[in-house]
Amino acid sequence: MEADVLIVGAGPAGISAALTAEKFGAKVILIDESFSPGGQLRQQTQYFSNLPTGYAPDIGLKVIETLIKHLYASSVQVYTNHTMIGAYKNGMIGVTDGNKTFPILARANILAPGAQEEAKIFPGWTLPGVMTAGAAQILINRESVLPGKRAVMIGTNNFAFTVAKQLHDCGVTIEAFIEEKSQITCSDGILRDELKHVPVWTESTVQIAQGTGQVERVSVHTPEGRKEIDVDLICISNGFTPILEPFVIMDCELTYKKHLGGWVPLYNEKLQTTNPSCFIAGNAAGITDLGPILLTGEIAAISALEEIGILNSEEAEIERRKRWLELEKLENTAVCQARKNLIASSRSRQSPLTKSK
Amino acid sequence: MEKSTIVCRCEEINIEEIELAIKNGARTFDDIKRLTRCGMGPCQAKICMNPVREIIATYTNTPLEDIPPPRLRMPAIPVRLGALANGVEDFKESSIASVFGESVEDGDEQNDESV
Amino acid sequence: MQIHIHPVLGEKFTEEVTFYFNNKPLKAKKGQTVAAALMANGIRNLGTSRKFLQPRGLYCATGRCMSCFVTINGVEHVLSCMTLVDEGMKVFPSNEDPDPGSEINGS
Repeated sequence: MEADVLIVGAGPAGISAALTAEKFGAKVILIDESFSPGGQLRQQTQYFSNLPTGYAPDIGLKVIETLIKHLYASSVQVYTNHTMIGAYKNGMIGVTDGNKTFPILARANILAPGAQEEAKIFPGWTLPGVMTAGAAQILINRESVLPGKRAVMIGTNNFAFTVAKQLHDCGVTIEAFIEEKSQITCSDGILRDELKHVPVWTESTVQIAQGTGQVERVSVHTPEGRKEIDVDLICISNGFTPILEPFVIMDCELTYKKHLGGWVPLYNEKLQTTNPSCFIAGNAAGITDLGPILLTGEIAAISALEEIGILNSEEAEIERRKRWLELEKLENTAVCQARKNLIASSRSRQSPLTKSK
Repeated sequence: MEKSTIVCRCEEINIEEIELAIKNGARTFDDIKRLTRCGMGPCQAKICMNPVREIIATYTNTPLEDIPPPRLRMPAIPVRLGALANGVEDFKESSIASVFGESVEDGDEQNDESV
Repeated sequence: MQIHIHPVLGEKFTEEVTFYFNNKPLKAKKGQTVAAALMANGIRNLGTSRKFLQPRGLYCATGRCMSCFVTINGVEHVLSCMTLVDEGMKVFPSNEDPDPGSEINGS
């Protein structure tokens, strides 16, 4: 299989990159390990309004539905159920569909694997019924299945509240939020207000989750003493961190940026990693919101096309600058600043990153 | 937290075992991996990566940013041997060995950083 | 439990399929993953851990944690969260390590 650009990951960043690269005339292959494209946006039923030019505000899964429609109307070759598992010695990415393993020969690669949820350990966290908040959200919104009837949510970040609200709307009783910090971390006042009937136990930690074969009750250390409740669902929302293994496989250098979600591949303003053939897009380049995710896909595509000569440097620079300006407007200030710091640190680094033009 | 709390879901390694490894000199995730099998199960440290790093940070009083993730090896997900062997005859540049990043004929090449 | 009418999405799946868990026939919706289909039938315990023989179930639902391994149509260690349920599918819990020498696991 051969293409100008291979894109790994068909979430919002990957699809945005694919459509941009195709628009500028590149032959694009897009692979994803799941049975359908769309990534984690497939189960987002909350509203997204801070989107780049050309996108209509809508609930997440409608935004991705529209993108997928464009994707299948384009010349992009989409392969679902295809996973990047490694690299060959000559730098080609190795892919498996579960039956065979083969290389995809591309002149440039864009890696957009997304993010994963951070684990939170406590005694009993391996029991069935204990799952990430994202898993519970997949079950209700993508699979139309109730993961439980009575739940606690560990964590009070925005995603914890988003999923708790959606679980509540589907009929799950949220018994409590469990927060180890002294106050709620969710910054969305409307969301907090909608769930104000749910007790929030601050400065609290799970002592143990118990049950025979699956979770049946949870004991929580709180400042008022030990609380024990019967639950059949414990959701963990402990934030997100970039998925790293495709970058490690491609020998991309990593760096640590707390505000971008922890360890993250190093990249320059072209979203080019320290492996000049690999570009990065989406949450893998730092945990952020949908608007910036879509824009990083476009920027990575433009840079990849510049690298392989489909776009000349002047054109690429103009297109890229336009999108960086928009990204800066849409992105959370702390995240955007961390991203700038990361890019600045890539400049001071020795080649091949700086050598590549 | 209870020292018997499982950290690595796959290999069922608990806090106590990780702390013991650190006490015996382990400083990185890879050290702990080699001493305990923590992170060597089917998920390949994808889930326990940060809980383990946090334990190292706390125990050794080191900032989290100074503790790198473990070496993430190929294949990135569990693959059936049949699927790994199937398809390679179609192209000459490589063999099943290099899918693993290792060369059978050459032994351990020092320049093969992907190993 | 199935959500028949989702508060935002309405009725998402319409076609019904029959599959088997431990040889017991169960109903699911076409388009659901095996993990979700099992959970819809109240089955959350999908396997046993290898060292302490503890129950395991769906944890990340994104194909990363490998906690939801099941045996599907004789093939061991299949990710139930990444596999769509199909008519007549035979699913068993993942209770031990796969036999690497078996015909079906090698191919």
